[in-house]
Amino acid sequence: MSSVYNWQLGREMEYPYEAAYPDRQFAFVFNLNRCIGCQSCTMACKSTWTFNKGQEAMWWNNVETKPYGGYPHHWDVKLLNLLDQANPGGQTWNGTPQALKGPYGQFQGKTIFEVAEKNISPEGAQRALGYLPADAEWASPNRFEDNPSASEKGHKGQMAFSGGELVPQHKTWFFYLARLCNHCSYPACLAACPRNAIYKRPEDGIVLLDQERCRGYRKCMEACPYKKTHYRGTTRVTEKCIGCFPRVEGRDPQGGGLPMQTRCMAACVGHIRLHGLVQMNQDGTWKEDRQHPLYYLVHVAKVALPLYPQFGTEPNGYYIPPRWVPRPYLKQMFGPGAEAAVEKYAHPDRELLAVLQLFGKDARMCFRYEIKPGPKVFETVIRGKPFEIYDDTIVGYARDGTKIIETKVEEPLHVRDRRYANSI
Amino acid sequence: MTFLFEDDLVEGAVFLCASGKRPGIPLLQIRRFHAERERCYAIPDPDDRAAAFARVQLVWFQEWRLEGALRATVSRFPALKSGLAALAFRQARGRNDEGAELYRNPDGAQQGIVALNPNRFASDSDLTRFLHHELAHLADMVDENFGYSPVLDGTAQTASQQRLVRDRYRLLWNVSVDGRLTRRGLGTVADETRRRGEFNRGFAFLEDARRQAVFDNLWGGHTAGHEDLLAIASDPRGLHEQYAPVPGAPCPICGFAAFQWVEVTTLQSAARKRIHADFPNWHGEGSLCARCAEIYESTSNLRYPATACL
Repeated sequence: MSSVYNWQLGREMEYPYEAAYPDRQFAFVFNLNRCIGCQSCTMACKSTWTFNKGQEAMWWNNVETKPYGGYPHHWDVKLLNLLDQANPGGQTWNGTPQALKGPYGQFQGKTIFEVAEKNISPEGAQRALGYLPADAEWASPNRFEDNPSASEKGHKGQMAFSGGELVPQHKTWFFYLARLCNHCSYPACLAACPRNAIYKRPEDGIVLLDQERCRGYRKCMEACPYKKTHYRGTTRVTEKCIGCFPRVEGRDPQGGGLPMQTRCMAACVGHIRLHGLVQMNQDGTWKEDRQHPLYYLVHVAKVALPLYPQFGTEPNGYYIPPRWVPRPYLKQMFGPGAEAAVEKYAHPDRELLAVLQLFGKDARMCFRYEIKPGPKVFETVIRGKPFEIYDDTIVGYARDGTKIIETKVEEPLHVRDRRYANSI
Repeated sequence: MTFLFEDDLVEGAVFLCASGKRPGIPLLQIRRFHAERERCYAIPDPDDRAAAFARVQLVWFQEWRLEGALRATVSRFPALKSGLAALAFRQARGRNDEGAELYRNPDGAQQGIVALNPNRFASDSDLTRFLHHELAHLADMVDENFGYSPVLDGTAQTASQQRLVRDRYRLLWNVSVDGRLTRRGLGTVADETRRRGEFNRGFAFLEDARRQAVFDNLWGGHTAGHEDLLAIASDPRGLHEQYAPVPGAPCPICGFAAFQWVEVTTLQSAARKRIHADFPNWHGEGSLCARCAEIYESTSNLRYPATACL
């Protein structure tokens, strides 16, 4: 085991390989407050990459209804339980937040890599704590869709699993969690592969699986805490999200040579997704890039948080947590920054309101934004706090400086010439 | 009898062995297994490649005595050898999919199919207990003395009654099968205490002494034929021939299980006449169900037959 720095945990942690970071890292932010669970992203991915024989149950991108849905079933609860068994009561956060190096404080518990040495399977110690879901658990990816409560078949009245968040009667809730491979900085799938078939690209940090090397041991499926590698029975090798790398490289003709967002990001009808490439320091932290929208959302506004950071893989998918969900659940899922993130999102400042307009505006990747100040158009008090809207204009630029987005905070009003009134 | 093994089951079982979850598999053999599989990946044609994988995996299925474990268990049920043309083992698609089924060709040849979760190969005792239970059911199905018939619905009139009869039949058959296996000294999925508990819940309406006697007969193997089981399942209290005003007994007019009864003497004479007209063999005494009584009371002065309203 090597010692690597995980800024999401605010500390060094053990990882089976030496640290190595890409120049830029594939990353994305999803605003869960806006997701309507329409599965457009799911189908955009499916129709692009996984529509062949043997890929029927393979969904690189999926949207599940939390708290009860899951693909595979209860993937997160099962792993949280394994971690809790391995380190009972010890999965806690502490310490003072530090910019860039530890914005959520310090994780005092153990990651899936750190407890793995003690988790001796028949083949010896695991590289990362995990479990291999049974075939049946990959079925019904929309299980418990729109369900705020659930029971297992044959157990009427019981909770679907004991680890769910129990809420008072009449205060039920749910939300949609869109998921794909997080292209982690410390991928557990990569760590576990006995054939070194999984690698992280140095140019953009996309985690790829070499199908020539893979021999279907399914160790990656066991180790990936997010369960985002999939075995294909017809070829007997494992497949996973490839981050639409031809688009990210700018090879999609639609992008005119500029890096494009993945198919699932571009197809999102709810404009919940913003995808980009962030700059990395050689110590594994993000390079300061104040005008990059992802840097702003994750490190300045701190409204976007990693999914289950306590697993320790440093996932590069970030989520703006849904504000109606009980805070203990959000803290478990997104770490200790959840409360502040919801508070910030519920009372957005002038810059955040402008940056949120960038979501879904263009299929090309935005590398930099500028805000042109506009007049104040609205002011009020929300839950005791003053709230103002300025009709600022936000401009987004592609990698080569091409202006790709120009939009305003207020929805523009276009008055049509009287000549065309009532005409179609 | 021919044995058939589905590729998916074989692959799942040998992979379980290769992952070290079945005790006693040497590491060297696991390496050899992976090395042999490795060569299959080089075959370009997908169908040829799939066939090559299946061949390699079947060899290891035999080498690791997984096939032997299945054959040995089947040999404990001689009725299967004579009664089945083929016995196939396939992978179960989920927990509820596990079990044994009997299929009969138009020419009368019988084939058994056992759906199995490959994880059962991790423990021989778990595997054999499950197989004993399922194969004993299959052996009953092919045994002429048992007299199995898949038609259970003849004795029930409504969908809910049919479901009830099916569930009771399943429970009775399980008790009978596990009782016989236990007396043969073969392990099975449930012991007497568990089956007795299930039986007591399923037949809680019987008097204690009667319930005890029925269970002991089943567990002791004295009641073990299809017709016997079906008779208990469809009419556990022996009410079908008894047109008495007790809850659950059939109404002498409509035949449905009745829980509300009306004395015939309380009916108007016109209603009684109309019942006689519709059912000439009705003896005109005792009780009938409240629904029939209501219908005949309300239609006693109409010209069309009351049965039109039923």
